[in-house]
Amino acid sequence: MNTPRRSGLNSTALALIPLAIAINIAGGQLVKTLRLPIYLDSIGTVLTGALLGPWIGLITGILSNGIWTLIGLDQFAWSFAAVAGAIGLLAGFAGRLGVFQRPSPRWLSAIIGGVFLFALTLFVMFFIYPLHGTPGDYENSLAPNNPNYATGVLVHGDPTFEKAYIFPGDPGYDEGSPLLAQAADVIASQPLIFLIAAIVGAALGYAVLQNAGYAGLAGLLTGVAAAVVSAPIAAYVFGGVTGSGTDALVAAFRASGANILASAFAQGTVSDPFDKMTSFMVVYLIIQSLPRRLLQRFPNAQAALESTPVTRAATSR
Amino acid sequence: MQPIYSPGDSPLHRLHPLTKLAIAGLILAATYLVPGALTPLALFFVTLILTIVGGVARSILSTVFKLLLPVTLSLFLIQGILFPPAGATLLPWSLGPIRLTYEGLLFAYLISARLLVLSTTILLVLRTTHPADLVFALTSRGLPRSIGYILLVSLQIVPDMTARATAILEAQRSRGLETQRGLSKVRAIVPLLGPLVVGALVDVEERAMALESRAYTAPGPKTSLRELVDTAGQRIARWLVLLGIAALIAGRVFLALQ
Repeated sequence: MNTPRRSGLNSTALALIPLAIAINIAGGQLVKTLRLPIYLDSIGTVLTGALLGPWIGLITGILSNGIWTLIGLDQFAWSFAAVAGAIGLLAGFAGRLGVFQRPSPRWLSAIIGGVFLFALTLFVMFFIYPLHGTPGDYENSLAPNNPNYATGVLVHGDPTFEKAYIFPGDPGYDEGSPLLAQAADVIASQPLIFLIAAIVGAALGYAVLQNAGYAGLAGLLTGVAAAVVSAPIAAYVFGGVTGSGTDALVAAFRASGANILASAFAQGTVSDPFDKMTSFMVVYLIIQSLPRRLLQRFPNAQAALESTPVTRAATSR
Repeated sequence: MQPIYSPGDSPLHRLHPLTKLAIAGLILAATYLVPGALTPLALFFVTLILTIVGGVARSILSTVFKLLLPVTLSLFLIQGILFPPAGATLLPWSLGPIRLTYEGLLFAYLISARLLVLSTTILLVLRTTHPADLVFALTSRGLPRSIGYILLVSLQIVPDMTARATAILEAQRSRGLETQRGLSKVRAIVPLLGPLVVGALVDVEERAMALESRAYTAPGPKTSLRELVDTAGQRIARWLVLLGIAALIAGRVFLALQ
């Protein structure tokens, strides 16, 4: 008799999901006690997404954050359940693409590392560097006699604001994306920092990421998505503060004058891509070290296995 | 970390799980919906009395304070001192160079107090309810059995994984893994997490086969080994609690519309 294999929450999923949740909680609690500005609370979710598919990854993420709060170890986790669900979903799609099965060339990892650190430096510099106008404009806008001092936000009508941003119709405005022009300005004003960032990033990518380049890239993209989804939640529900190590980053960005939403988004963009890249890399290493026989049980990994040519010698594990 | 549920014979232990969940829901709803700065503290004292009735006061309080201390500190630093809300009124006295604001301190206090009530209530329910009873009560009221199973195993898996992790840590240390100095803690992550995760994943296959051999995923009704005691009084109490929560929500909406 041919019993059809149940898709969805079959017994393999039921056995794997609690393990994934335990890994999530263990990683998250460890990082919380070390007060690092990363999370490391999605390794299990990424693993489940990679092995069992996007929808089960979504369920795992949501359940994981819910249970983390239910156990009483992290009172805020349940409000970020959507973020965790998104991470599981994207990890599942990445798994379908075979990202965790294909080793990437090391020079690609170096490039990914360099580009990532470069983009990160650019992002951080945007926050702490004046975009236009003369040096001192930005600091003057934060002076105590300025009515916007407490919030640190430049608003329309504020003469410093008009000097900081040039609008269409103003003399000196040139067509084309103002963002790129401003980025070029920021880079041109501090070329050494960006050069060092690119080189250090490339070195780290080569040494640490090694062959997990595709997984790392998928992790970076997932991290950006996670930052976008989590910033509004962190800003509006908690005022940007969750009692973890990332609060120091939020405080730093607030000190540079950004409002809460921008600070939360900035903190997310600094922490999340790196954190998810690390998680994806860890899951890549885990899947690489699993016996092939075990991988056969998982449909999402199986699909990628079949499309990958067997380049290793067929030794029995 | 010991398992969450602590067996006992207090009145709280004997209540039906859904009753406890309903009461917890009422307390939480009151914390967030009833206006007034002293409400969270008052509700915390109510919950404190319940923990004493349940006989789990000391363990819950120590856990809660350990968890809440970093959050409260962060909140106090960031909202109270460093970045007070706009237009906040300064307090007349100052701690040296630091000026505190009334609104900032109030915000930090409110969030901390609410978290205190939230944590205490959740831990109270979990400590006085056996996980299997809790999940059985939920699944008999409509929670999908798969989700119930995941909840059940997750509630019990953390001490199990911690024990595994400790064994692996000691094994690796006896092989010469350096874990005391600062930088080596980062390098020690891979030799510690690797065996933990791979070992647990290999177990997944066995667990899945165990579930299949017990026909867990077969469709149709199941007979349960555990029985829950549910009195008419508790049923009435649950309905009253639900009405109370609805009344709180309605009252809050009414206040907001004024």
